[in-house]
Amino acid sequence: MFPFKWLRTHTFRNRKSGVTNSPDPPAPDQILNMYKGKLVTESLEYTERFILDILGENDDFVFRHIRILARYPATVCYLSTLTNESNLEQEVFKPLMSAHVPHLVEQPLDKEHLKRAIPEQILYHSDLSIETKLVRVVEAVLHGYVVVLVDGLDTAYVLKSRSVKNRSIEQPQTEQVVQGPREGFIEMLETNLALIRYRLPTPDFRIKTMRIGKLTKSQVAVCYIEGIANPSLVAEVMRRLSKIDIDILLDAGYLEQYIQDHHLTPFPQIHITERPDKAVANIAEGRVIILMDGSPFALIVPSVFSQFFHTAEDYTSRYLQGNFVRFARVVALIFSLVLPSLYVSMISFNPELIPTEFAVAVAGGRAGVPFPSVVEVLIMEVSMEVLREATIRLPQQVGGALSIVGVLVIGQAAVSAGFASPITVVVIALTTIGSFATPAYTAAFALRMLRFPLIILAGIFGLYGVMVGLILICNHLLSLKSFGVPYLTPIVPGDYEGLKDSVIRQPLWTLWKRPTFLYTRNRIRARKSTDVNSEQSSVLDPGRMDGKEGEH
Amino acid sequence: MIVHGGFQAQITQAQAAAVIISTVIGVGVLHLPQLAARTALSAAPMATFIALTLSFVGLTILSLLSMRFPRQTLIEYSELIVGRWAARAANTLIIVFFIILTAYTAREFGSVVIVSVLRDTPLQMTVLIMLLLAALSARHDIRTFAHIHLFYTPIILAPALLITLFSMSNSNLLYLQPIFIYDNKQFLPGILTMAALFQGSFVYSIIVPNMREPQQALRSSSWGFGIAGLLYLIIVTVIISVFGPRETALMVWPTLELAKTAALPANVLERLDAPFLALWVIAVFTTLLSSYYLAIHMLSKMLRLADQRMLTFTLLPLIFVLAMLPQNIVQLYQIIEVIGIIGLVLTIGYPLILLLIAVIRKMRGDANEDDQNAAAIS
Repeated sequence: MFPFKWLRTHTFRNRKSGVTNSPDPPAPDQILNMYKGKLVTESLEYTERFILDILGENDDFVFRHIRILARYPATVCYLSTLTNESNLEQEVFKPLMSAHVPHLVEQPLDKEHLKRAIPEQILYHSDLSIETKLVRVVEAVLHGYVVVLVDGLDTAYVLKSRSVKNRSIEQPQTEQVVQGPREGFIEMLETNLALIRYRLPTPDFRIKTMRIGKLTKSQVAVCYIEGIANPSLVAEVMRRLSKIDIDILLDAGYLEQYIQDHHLTPFPQIHITERPDKAVANIAEGRVIILMDGSPFALIVPSVFSQFFHTAEDYTSRYLQGNFVRFARVVALIFSLVLPSLYVSMISFNPELIPTEFAVAVAGGRAGVPFPSVVEVLIMEVSMEVLREATIRLPQQVGGALSIVGVLVIGQAAVSAGFASPITVVVIALTTIGSFATPAYTAAFALRMLRFPLIILAGIFGLYGVMVGLILICNHLLSLKSFGVPYLTPIVPGDYEGLKDSVIRQPLWTLWKRPTFLYTRNRIRARKSTDVNSEQSSVLDPGRMDGKEGEH
Repeated sequence: MIVHGGFQAQITQAQAAAVIISTVIGVGVLHLPQLAARTALSAAPMATFIALTLSFVGLTILSLLSMRFPRQTLIEYSELIVGRWAARAANTLIIVFFIILTAYTAREFGSVVIVSVLRDTPLQMTVLIMLLLAALSARHDIRTFAHIHLFYTPIILAPALLITLFSMSNSNLLYLQPIFIYDNKQFLPGILTMAALFQGSFVYSIIVPNMREPQQALRSSSWGFGIAGLLYLIIVTVIISVFGPRETALMVWPTLELAKTAALPANVLERLDAPFLALWVIAVFTTLLSSYYLAIHMLSKMLRLADQRMLTFTLLPLIFVLAMLPQNIVQLYQIIEVIGIIGLVLTIGYPLILLLIAVIRKMRGDANEDDQNAAAIS
């Protein structure tokens, strides 16, 4: 029993190994590594010393001696910045120090009895756990837990009382809907998990958490439904996550870059969402959701390309309405990729394609423009990109002014200055609007980028160049995989169940099977009801009413 | 699940059929009607049908042979059937043939492009771009190869069908009579030249070993070849009925002329030949990819390489030089005719001999045993 044993052995070791090796005292983290696996001892003084030596330098570290039931010396320690201290007084200090359990106060307790009495009778905090490892005790303090150490006991009581300021649940900024739930994820993992959990009151819903990041030790949660998600997919997700070796993990975007299959591609292979309802829909389809503390985004794996033009609203709105909008989105997607390059190739190589009356107008508009159309389009596209980036960076009050200036400069002024033809402006506008209509920002970005090489190809080889470019893009898409699922599934390779919800969505009741390409353990989504209407009866139809109601 | 060569054999029947369709429909679409008209005048559809049948016989032999050895490629089972060195010699010839075929497909395409669309672009450029496109795409594994074909098949079929549909109104059924003509010296060589245009279907020899159900190989190839053949028949019939046999025989690329005569309703696009050519790039690309992939895949199997990636760019300069050898289109088509007929002997005769010997020697690749063999070899 020597309280400073660890200090002593440590200095001894240092002296022996010589000054050259490590003149600086070891960082707290290194000490923790050295003490991995060491247990909490019965000596309160020793444990106190250990914790103080590691955390004592921090001003927000609170270290308080108390006597439990006015008799047994104990220490409560926590980080004041991560804890709500007024709650603490009520929930921890009061029960510990006041003698609210009379029969315990009457006579002194032996160690074993005390060890059981603290969690069972004295502390009524709901989230209480018992920790026996020294290192875990320090980590618990760092994660915002309150630790109660009692003299003579070889355990530490860890109480959850983290309270960090967070924003309230708001409508997700990137995925707004007209019709549908308006909740969005926030930065707190627990809140996000709650948002999913209350939608899935099933014992099959699984949340597996792990901590990633040497410094941030961010909590990462993997969510799936046991019995639907393919077990090997879950295992692979866990494996990829556990292989991440990084110091700071600040957003789900970090995770995405570590676990994606292909790095050198403009196309995202993991879908990101801010919407709990979308996350739940994907979990129920057999996918795995990854959430992390500190990020309002959930990663959906595996993802296929068609998901990037689907929105939550496609499912909440009626069949025809949803499909109409989805179709418009596909058109917008194609516009944003090929429109400027088609325009360039038509103007510079195949003007004979343009109907005669229109060709005259085109030629008239281009009369004063000094550049070849490819240069003209490139200049306009680049300035459009600059304008777009500028509007994001500017504070909102100025943003409106900028967009007016931008519209004037890129639109009317450029035309009247003879800088661009009016039709070029129309084409650029359509392209830009098209890229805004794609719901997934990352996927829209891929097409935005690929537009430029296509314009250049169009400027050199005309339609032939555009075609070669498109073939290259398609072949690239066809070779991509997300966790083994080909990127263009369900279109290629064909998947009948998946095709029902790709470019168009079939009515909900026909989607009674889960997509095959996810190889889910349970294929049946719902009972097959071939005709929903046959089960409904028109009760208010006067012809069907009988008795008194019909006589009115 | 059947594991073959390190990954699952996953090509479905639809994908296998799509490979045949998009491979068979290729550069030939533009040139075949002229060949047919030269061979048999108004009986051109019939001549096309005979050529298609001949080619289909070859494909059937290949399918039967592949189904006999369901988990091995041609390179592997030919060495079992006729012995290592005889097989190697024949296989080398086939590889060389497909390298040449690739070169002349690219060259033919390049010529069409510079004659009809990009008049100021050097021929080397268009050919090189097409070859680079094929080489880049040939780096993927065979599953992606099948996916590429499946993806493009509808895009290949649609424009050809649409063009023919739009020009139906100009057709004159009298041009198609008489339906049968025999007394033509050119008939037999013409048929052979036409049949030679469909030889890309030989790519089936590397598809079958990777099929999920190799026993359905014949069904897939019949479907695939049937659809592609039907498209050719429709195109030839419509062209002859629009231009007449004499006129067609004088055109180098009658299908392109057909696209020029067609017009969209409501005058959305003034002319259709440029968009047609643009979409036709896809058809050429898939054909080119097939023959190139076949050549390098067979070569890598013969050299016992792990995969064909190393070869994709090493063979490219050779193919490019070969493609540049012919002086002009006339010479190009003369060479293609000669090479094509030699190719027919290789792609139909060689599998036929292999099949006969295999039947006589009662050789048969058992699916399970060959899995291990194939896994060991590849």
